[in-house]
Amino acid sequence: MIAKRDLQKIFWLLLLFLLFIAPALLMFWRSLSPGAVWPELFSGEWNFRAWQVIFSDGNIINALINTVLIGAAVVLINFLLAVPAAYGLARFNFKGKPLIESVMMMPILIPVLAIAMGMHITMIRIGLTDTMTGVILIHLMPTLPYAIRVMKSGFDRLSITWEEQSAVLGVGRFRTFFTTLIPLLLPSIRSMAVLVFVISLSQYVLTSIIGGGQVSTLPLIYYPYFNSADSAVVAGFSVIFVLLPMLFFLVFEGLIRLYLSAVRSA
Amino acid sequence: MFNNTPLKRFSAFGYLLPALSVILFFAGYGLYSAFRNSLHLGEERPLFASYQELLLESPFWESVSISIWVAFSSTVISLVIGIFLTRRLVRLFQRDDWKFAAWFPMLLPHFVAAYIIYLLFAPSGWFSSLAAQIGWIDTMSQFPVLVNDPLYTGVIFTYVFKEIPFVILMMLPVYQEMDLRYEDVSKTLGGSDWTVFKTVEVPWVMPVSLEVFLILFVFVLGAFEVPALLGVTYPKMLPVLAYEWFYQAAWANRPLAQAMMVLLSAVSLLAAFLILRFTYKWRSHWAMRREDV
Amino acid sequence: MKKVWFLGVTASCILAACSSEDEQLSADELAEKDWDAIKESAEGAEIGMYMWGGDDSVNRYIDDIVVPHLDENYDVTLERYPMDAPDFLNRLMSEKEAGDQDGTADVLWINGENFRTAKQNDLLYGEFTHLLPNMEEYIGDEASFVHIDMGTEIEGYEAPWGNVQFAFQYDADRVDDPPSTMDELIEWSIDNPGEFTYPNVNDFTGNSFISHMLYSVADSPDELEEYDEEWLRANEEELWSKLNDFQDSLWREGQTYPDDLSQLDQMYADGEVSFTMGFNEHRAESMIEDDVFPESTETIFLEEPGSIGSTHYLSMPFNTTEPEAALIAINYMISAEAQIKKLDPSLWGEGHVLDSDLLSEEQQAEIEEHLGDDAVEADADIILPELDSRYHDWIIDRWEEEVVQ
Repeated sequence: MIAKRDLQKIFWLLLLFLLFIAPALLMFWRSLSPGAVWPELFSGEWNFRAWQVIFSDGNIINALINTVLIGAAVVLINFLLAVPAAYGLARFNFKGKPLIESVMMMPILIPVLAIAMGMHITMIRIGLTDTMTGVILIHLMPTLPYAIRVMKSGFDRLSITWEEQSAVLGVGRFRTFFTTLIPLLLPSIRSMAVLVFVISLSQYVLTSIIGGGQVSTLPLIYYPYFNSADSAVVAGFSVIFVLLPMLFFLVFEGLIRLYLSAVRSA
Repeated sequence: MFNNTPLKRFSAFGYLLPALSVILFFAGYGLYSAFRNSLHLGEERPLFASYQELLLESPFWESVSISIWVAFSSTVISLVIGIFLTRRLVRLFQRDDWKFAAWFPMLLPHFVAAYIIYLLFAPSGWFSSLAAQIGWIDTMSQFPVLVNDPLYTGVIFTYVFKEIPFVILMMLPVYQEMDLRYEDVSKTLGGSDWTVFKTVEVPWVMPVSLEVFLILFVFVLGAFEVPALLGVTYPKMLPVLAYEWFYQAAWANRPLAQAMMVLLSAVSLLAAFLILRFTYKWRSHWAMRREDV
Repeated sequence: MKKVWFLGVTASCILAACSSEDEQLSADELAEKDWDAIKESAEGAEIGMYMWGGDDSVNRYIDDIVVPHLDENYDVTLERYPMDAPDFLNRLMSEKEAGDQDGTADVLWINGENFRTAKQNDLLYGEFTHLLPNMEEYIGDEASFVHIDMGTEIEGYEAPWGNVQFAFQYDADRVDDPPSTMDELIEWSIDNPGEFTYPNVNDFTGNSFISHMLYSVADSPDELEEYDEEWLRANEEELWSKLNDFQDSLWREGQTYPDDLSQLDQMYADGEVSFTMGFNEHRAESMIEDDVFPESTETIFLEEPGSIGSTHYLSMPFNTTEPEAALIAINYMISAEAQIKKLDPSLWGEGHVLDSDLLSEEQQAEIEEHLGDDAVEADADIILPELDSRYHDWIIDRWEEEVVQ
């Protein structure tokens, strides 16, 4: 029985390793050892040229910091907007709800290219082009619909009685939210945060249109290289794109642990 | 369970308003100007000339069919594999570290995933080199064409790889919520795996699956990066065609590109509305049945 | 609606210190200033340049040569913003529509059809090249690229920055007898199925490959000097049949084509095909050095029909806030000093736009030194002029239907 379980575990671990970690490692390898010619699996050469190119770009550190700051801010604002919206959708029924829900999904139903110029003009009118604030706000478009869907499925899973019980026990709504609801919603919040961060991290078109190249983020530096044959550099950049969300995830987990222990001791 | 008094309705809008207004504020004018640019305002040609022209273009219809093929097959494959994995692993997934493992591909941006697929499956890629090392093939051309192929195999691979975790993410709460006792009862009564799925799980799984189907389908229909990297010259997927028309010939084809995108948006919005209305009805139907029990 | 905008504008003024006060000079007003006055008012300015950022050596040239020089000699800070021409033109178009005079960038790297689009939509600053001292001193107005960019009259809206020739790169380990004419190239592809292809014609390089085909169909290059629809109607049959003749022996039997040059380069680097191609006859050098292309890569020109030369330019957007500093920067980038440094293969390695009659002997010697003996150079008699950009549109319009479908 135990052996079977272990075997099963090993099987799944192996599968997940092959599906995800192995490709990332292969990319890392490729960034260090370019120039393999078919049918060689690897060329014998080693060098750090790709990483030198990446880190010799004067903007790279700045871009990394901006990318993380923008991603974190987008996650936070998504949380503030999506939690009430998802709650509203999960707990209330009203006429025209499918219509409202469709409108809330609109930004992912419309190709970005179609509305990018119009959104840019809106941004110019409110004076937020070329600013971090503008880029953060525009990143809400491709992320908010997902955040709402993920949070809504989280609320759907919770039975309503949790809130009712705390009401009966006389705990305030505000407190209920922070001490009961948030810990229960954690799986959804975590998924929402990771999903939103990754989407924000991959935005090139919107960032370049609204940020105008002045707000430098990782995709802005990476995309032009992606359009070149320099596969070592592309592979190196791709590794960074894999590492950043993982790093974000770890930090986020740490924050969650802190939050939970704070709630418990309070 | 639900109260539908005016007051409740009002407070529902209170919860929805912030998100709704952000979306309308930014996308609203964008949509308006896209629509305006697709029309021939103040020109001699008829107002809807670009729509007419679009519907008569045969490359457009070729793109429609290839886009639907890619969106449909990658969505269905992701859903089937995703639901299968969720069912198999629902107990394992109760532990967080396992859940995290299944999500890994979600951490990858789409263009990185596409690049990985290219590195692995291109005729000069790792699998091809491996096959040559083993001695299965002698020349590159013997390796099956899996990227930049007319059936968009590479594109579909990429989407399946990326979207399975999303399916698991959305389905897992459903299975966790589903009372596993139902399943036991049905199994004791001698139901096969398939009957259990059909009779017990479908009512729960159906609405979420449809929703996930909708999200993934329209996403694949509208996404540019993956087909641009792994697609073929002809037929192109719709977003790639739109991109080309948008930029070529000193912007002369822009109204055509905008018309295509407005049409695509309208169809997606309509589909979203219909699917959401259906799941809404399905849910209230089954909620009532449950309360009857 | 108006009210909302008003609120927005007020809010943004608080956020971003309402629009800059110094009045922007129009091209006419600038013309009244002499160069010293321009230099003076450029001092301390920070300017931005929109340019494609995917070539490490180009980026290094800007960062290591141009930026320090401008900073030390003129107190002008130049920053490059990586963005493709179609993207920044889009941006400029929205800014124009919204009446935004406070542009982000001050210098643009542009040419050909993008220049035409920008000029037609009034996205450029205006006539400025006559203000640049180095234009007269080193470039003159003899060369045709000073006046016409792919059939579009330049009229001083952009200053030439670099000249490149179209060339083919091949792997000498796999190609024993490299072709020297278009017909030999076609023959070679038929004999070696799957080893040759060209990028999709939506890509500039792919389009230029077809332009070479057009030249090889024409009896003499003069026939294509001006856009001539009648000529196209009379000769297109021959063009398509030539392309269809060897289509089956292309990579993937000509069913699909690399989306752009980078994909072709990638395939060449991976050994999927034996040829790649592109503007800039020196481009293979840095690619070999960086281990991207195999060491056995050689560069050739086709003697028949020849090699199209292409020029790229520097321009200014309509809403630059620092036109003086932009002029200073462009003036330096077209100087003999900057142009000669640009020839260095270890920096960028691309052709200059200088008129050798205007150069000192010393400068000419420096150019010779960079080009060296073994460097690839096209003979003057095979250089073909760039085609009118309407040919470019025509190729895009017809190719897919005639060749791919």
